[in-house]
Amino acid sequence: MNPFVTVWDFFGRLYHRLASPREFYKISRFTTPVFGLLFLLLTAAGTYLGLFVAPADYQQGDSFRIIYVHVPSAWLSLFIYMVMATAGAIGLIWRMKMAYVVVICSAPIGAAFTALALITGSLWGAPIWGTWWEWDARLTSELILLFLYLGAMALYYAFDDRKTGERATAVLAVVGVVIVPIIHYSVEWWSSLHQGATVFRAGGPAMPSSMLTPLLLMALGFTFFYGYCLFLRAQNMVLHNERNSRWVKDLINELE
Amino acid sequence: MTNTFMLYAMREWQLLFRNSSTLAQPLCFFVIIALLFPLSLPAENALLQRIGGGVIWVSAVLATLLSLESMFKPDYHDGALEQWLIQPRSLTLAVVAKVFSQWSATGLILTLFAPVLCLTFRIPVEQIWVLFVGLLLGTPSLTLIGAIGAALTVTLHRGGVLLAIIILPLYIPILIFGAGMVTQSAQGADITGQIYALAAILTLALTLAPFAIVGALRATID
Repeated sequence: MNPFVTVWDFFGRLYHRLASPREFYKISRFTTPVFGLLFLLLTAAGTYLGLFVAPADYQQGDSFRIIYVHVPSAWLSLFIYMVMATAGAIGLIWRMKMAYVVVICSAPIGAAFTALALITGSLWGAPIWGTWWEWDARLTSELILLFLYLGAMALYYAFDDRKTGERATAVLAVVGVVIVPIIHYSVEWWSSLHQGATVFRAGGPAMPSSMLTPLLLMALGFTFFYGYCLFLRAQNMVLHNERNSRWVKDLINELE
Repeated sequence: MTNTFMLYAMREWQLLFRNSSTLAQPLCFFVIIALLFPLSLPAENALLQRIGGGVIWVSAVLATLLSLESMFKPDYHDGALEQWLIQPRSLTLAVVAKVFSQWSATGLILTLFAPVLCLTFRIPVEQIWVLFVGLLLGTPSLTLIGAIGAALTVTLHRGGVLLAIIILPLYIPILIFGAGMVTQSAQGADITGQIYALAAILTLALTLAPFAIVGALRATID
């Protein structure tokens, strides 16, 4: 059999299983602890390697080590927005209930990581650049991203009807993803102090592997943490949304 | 198609001109906001001349934003919007006509009046032209993008502040290129890049925003 068809078939089935709140709940009962465990292992390893094994930077000394929180948070702030927009598009096109759940549950996590990236960046900038805040391209576009997240959350909570709020937020997430690159480049063009790309660039990473390995471990660990939070929040939201359905009532009866 | 478009546009214009206070409001707001700056900053001609372009752009953005709240609301409350949603004609076309007439009543009027404000800021004539071209290219994008937010918040009773929160971040590129154009030309630099950027944003907004507005209307109105 054609392997491509088999893979496609697998994702097709997974998609249809995930589309049903009940199946999603079953799957997430399994994935949530796995993601949590992977997060703990990867972050523990990354923290150890980053704080004790990686050498101090020749210019910045030990203060560079905040990179192990700063860069993963910044990466997730963008990644989560992409997830939101993709899920929003899926929800709007195929009317998939669970996709909206992903959009709504991702927004606060994304906002938290964006705020974390801004705060750690500011803490890093104070000794190295000599300023807490600079009207620089990266900083400003990250701040705008924070407002996009907060706007999406505000829009969702403004509606009395939950379903309308979900659809409206999905539209906003999709619109935002078209504009985020434009905002990014317009701001970049406007002024820049932040260093250029170090990890993902042509010619390989400009970083020794002793410093890079913990960074990648942390980035992966943080991503699993996002998955963990997302599934936990989504579980709660599914149970709340489906509180009148048979399977949730059975679940509650089992617990009692 | 042209006929349908004109029918929609004529209806909007009639509505706008019968209630001429809605026409005057954005312009008054625009002028008042711009005049707050010279009053709150040290009255130095050199400073006013330097910040004038940016101040006029910020005022234009805020005036456009203010006018957006009433863009779909009256039609939603009298039921016309729901008729639009269920009728067989293209909703996208109706939305484009609405945005066009809305822009002609706000953005276009602001653009035409901006040179007068420039004179009070003592901006030289060459830069007045730059600002005029920038506003002419930028304000349609402001209305198009803003209409998405207006459509998303149309059913909400108090959508004004929310509209500002969700739409203002999306206005930043237009503001950067538009206001940057005036500053650059004052320093004698080339501004073709900014003109192209504003034109590109307008093209993108003109082709994509109508579909987003329709999507937003369908998402929020049941």
